[in-house]
Amino acid sequence: MACKRVPTMFQAIPIRRKSYQCFQCPYTTRKASTFNGMTELSEDVDPTSSMQTPGPSEEHIKRFNPIARTKRRKRQLPPSRYQFRPPRYYRGPLHPHQPPLPSDPASRLFKPGPFSLTRLEQTYHSTLAPDLLTLMYTHHPPGTLPRPSPPRLRGWDGSSPYHKNRPLRGPRGTPVLRLLRRPITFRNIPRLEKIVVHSFVDEAGSERERIQVAGMVMQAITNARAKVYNAKKSIADFNLREGHPCAVGVELRGEDMYDFLAKVVEVVMPRVKDYRGVKGTSGDSSGNLSFAFTPAVVGAFPEVEVNYDAYPPKMIPPIDVTVCTTATNDKDARLLLSSMGIPFYGKHIN
Amino acid sequence: MSLSTPLRRVTLPVPSVPQTQCRHATLLQRPKRPYTFTQLVTLSDGSTYTHRTTSPAPVYKSSKDTRNTPLWNPSSQKLLNMETDEAGKLRAFREKFGRGWDASKMQERDDEAEKEDSGEEGMEGSQREEEDNLLDLISGYDKQEPKGPREKKVDEEKQKADELKQMIRQRKWDKELRRRGDK
Repeated sequence: MACKRVPTMFQAIPIRRKSYQCFQCPYTTRKASTFNGMTELSEDVDPTSSMQTPGPSEEHIKRFNPIARTKRRKRQLPPSRYQFRPPRYYRGPLHPHQPPLPSDPASRLFKPGPFSLTRLEQTYHSTLAPDLLTLMYTHHPPGTLPRPSPPRLRGWDGSSPYHKNRPLRGPRGTPVLRLLRRPITFRNIPRLEKIVVHSFVDEAGSERERIQVAGMVMQAITNARAKVYNAKKSIADFNLREGHPCAVGVELRGEDMYDFLAKVVEVVMPRVKDYRGVKGTSGDSSGNLSFAFTPAVVGAFPEVEVNYDAYPPKMIPPIDVTVCTTATNDKDARLLLSSMGIPFYGKHIN
Repeated sequence: MSLSTPLRRVTLPVPSVPQTQCRHATLLQRPKRPYTFTQLVTLSDGSTYTHRTTSPAPVYKSSKDTRNTPLWNPSSQKLLNMETDEAGKLRAFREKFGRGWDASKMQERDDEAEKEDSGEEGMEGSQREEEDNLLDLISGYDKQEPKGPREKKVDEEKQKADELKQMIRQRKWDKELRRRGDK
């Protein structure tokens, strides 16, 4: 056999790959087209077949009546013996009772959903994504190569002997290296990643209720439970005391995110008086844009408005909304958001 | 034993077991989620869509949204000319004083505008007149249509009734004038 030539060290490998074919010599497998005419079975193969075993006897067939047997039963069947109960505590990786993954419905951390395919998401996949691809696509005619991009880190010119073995310098102007903008293809069209809604509550130190109200408002408008943030440091000017709650925030992904953005664009933004849109200078130059709403506008959200009397009117907080996209620069992110209906005004800075 | 030599302290080995309580068990808290409903959103132009929301109202009807805001519809002349009367002040004024107080002024302004137009562009003016005539023709098309004998009869009766009404009104007016003159 051809396998004999293989050194013993490699003999375990074909077995580990689950197929008993020698991967060193792939032509050893026999196909139907290369039938060698050998009809006799080898001695190792059992000649009897399970197809030849006799079926159930006549008597057994007559006796078999599951419906009658069920009716004869007086009481219900007992529940299955083993009912899995996820542990209440995670006691480390070595504990025998491990909690299931959060994606498992049996897990205590499981979050059901999504419950709907949102309108904005459908619009994105059917209309916006192809349009964005067309707008952002850079075509290189066949036979031509794209111009080589300049090096991201600058070297030293070598005019001084001290330049030898120096580490490369960062880009001019900023100490941080900007994100790379890869050519846009159908695989990496910018899309929404998450929306962070945040509210810093000014007078949380003096009035604890403000945090409660801010949390309730935040939950009403975003469909998610708000998280309370505590101050890291004491700052007297901002009335911050270390370890005391000072802000509430929500991170939205998936269905909630699309619902929130659609609601903001369709209903809330048009209700703002003399609204010009989002500032063109907004953004962190890596594809995340943010804007804010005053307490009056937060009160105009349909969920708050329908139950406006439930909230103390002076305690409705202002909110900051940060839209994180998978775009790597602000220009692309702005294009994505303006296609979703957010207007921008002023000078656009990337 | 001399007093100068200090007593040696016996150092006990530090136990490896942590002294503070440490259970190494983290509670797996069930995530808290607000109850959400499916709500039908009706925009101002009548288009609808559903979304998940915490609001228990089954239908949300918006009076102001992207469909009737000039910022989202920059080319719509209808929205640009719309007056904003959110507090209802203009409506209250009109209810109190009516709309006729500046009608004559508006008429004058219109006349001036027409004059300017005709002065600036004579050709254009004449063209517009022609267009107006054509429009009149179009609007009067169905009136000039030949009608059946029955419809003609109905029309004649209507005309007669109108004439009668006019006569009665005229006489009443004459009487009134005479009475005022007497006084």
